[in-house]
Amino acid sequence: MYGDLQLNGPDYLMLGFDRELRRHGFAGNTCQIVLKLGVAVSPDALMHRLAQLTVSHPILNARPAGCIWPKWKLPSVPQAPQVRVHRGNSPSRELLNEPLDSRRGQLMRFDLSDDSEGRQTLTFTWLHALMDAPGAEHFLACVGNEDMVLPSPPAAAPRPQPPLRERAKLAWKYIHHLDELCKAAPKSIGVRHPSAPAELRHRVETFDAADTARIRANASQLAGLLGDAQFHAATALCELHRLRDRLGCASPSYVLPLAVGLRAKGSINPVFSNELTMLMMQLLPPQLDSTAVAIAALKQQLEDALRGGLIESGRQLGLLFRFLPIPLYMAMAKQGLRGEICSLFFGDTASVNPRLSNFLGAPVEDFTHIAAVTPSPGLGVIFYYFRGLLKMTVVHSTRVFTDAETTEFAASLRQRLLQP
Amino acid sequence: MTDVREIESSLLDFMRREVFAPDLELTAETDLIASGFDSMSLVRVLLFIETSHGFWIPQGEINAETLKNIRSLAATVVRLRA
Repeated sequence: MYGDLQLNGPDYLMLGFDRELRRHGFAGNTCQIVLKLGVAVSPDALMHRLAQLTVSHPILNARPAGCIWPKWKLPSVPQAPQVRVHRGNSPSRELLNEPLDSRRGQLMRFDLSDDSEGRQTLTFTWLHALMDAPGAEHFLACVGNEDMVLPSPPAAAPRPQPPLRERAKLAWKYIHHLDELCKAAPKSIGVRHPSAPAELRHRVETFDAADTARIRANASQLAGLLGDAQFHAATALCELHRLRDRLGCASPSYVLPLAVGLRAKGSINPVFSNELTMLMMQLLPPQLDSTAVAIAALKQQLEDALRGGLIESGRQLGLLFRFLPIPLYMAMAKQGLRGEICSLFFGDTASVNPRLSNFLGAPVEDFTHIAAVTPSPGLGVIFYYFRGLLKMTVVHSTRVFTDAETTEFAASLRQRLLQP
Repeated sequence: MTDVREIESSLLDFMRREVFAPDLELTAETDLIASGFDSMSLVRVLLFIETSHGFWIPQGEINAETLKNIRSLAATVVRLRA
């Protein structure tokens, strides 16, 4: 069996956000995948499968340890993840969002709830520091399909690294990029409702086949082939600016950390890792008056970022920051953009893993991604396709936006996607 | 003919090295999009073409036919370079 495992840079960043969220009274940086199952699966079968996987993969029960040299501390006697069964009434959102006790190795949880028609809802909650959304989809597919082999965690040193001096130079390039963004520094929306309970709420928008086709055609026309994510991001930023302008808190600029997947295409490995880097995009209000202009600005920044080697720079920055204590890391990250390192949490996970069409023999009728957002920006949107239909989850913090404001944002966003 | 083969070969090398997983059996006829090629991969490849051939393929030329596989992409590079 493998020994303790190092966290990589993005894992560490996600752990930092976990502590930040807990510090503000929220449950932490956890994500959820919700499966609507056509028939109920046996809780015993799920527990048995998880017990099998925990023996072969004790990381499921690891705990984060080490401030200067962060790692997953693997248990000598691993315990399978918790499975909670809710019979009768649907479990409350508060119950489903209960914090994971990661310090005791609780990195994930499964909640099963039956409905009166024999269907079942499975809510899978996991600590983002353990894995990103594609990793979680693949992990869940492995849990639900016994013929699939769950990959082992990544090796400690997955790829050769340049000399330290070169790495520091690359990392510095990224910091310089952040300094450039500071020339039009964003203004944080802050916590508008500090006395509101610390809750994360979400709403899910599903587009039917006709609307999905229309949105894809719009994306193709404005952002070109494979431009769906850029179209979604630009549209969401335009609507964010519109909302904040209406609320009287428009920003001189909006920063969007665009997650770039680092997994080689055609491969899911490794599962237990955040294989991503953040490219910081920045749009100014005049660029957000029109979706087409916003897309053009994003495309140009993306090309410039790749041309300037910012993906590797961001990766090296993450690797170096890994060795700093988390509070210092968060302070440095925030200082870089004068308090605003993200104006909108944005995710686009593309098509759901095709093996999640069934789970332990039950057909998966619906699929939802839910993520956590920090109190500022307090708003996030995730796009994904399930069975070819576009879905969008809008998450908000009750301390920053009201339900009515978020509902308006989601409705306007939907409309703009259809008619950019 | 040699030219298009050389370009095809260099694109194949680049994509094997920088885009796709090493265990994927990538050939000049592999369906790129079905194999996971995405918008970020596209920008990387466009940058590679710009660096090695001196021009940027305009967005209007990027369509399903061009990105069908490495062979069709190489043919587009040759046509635009002519």
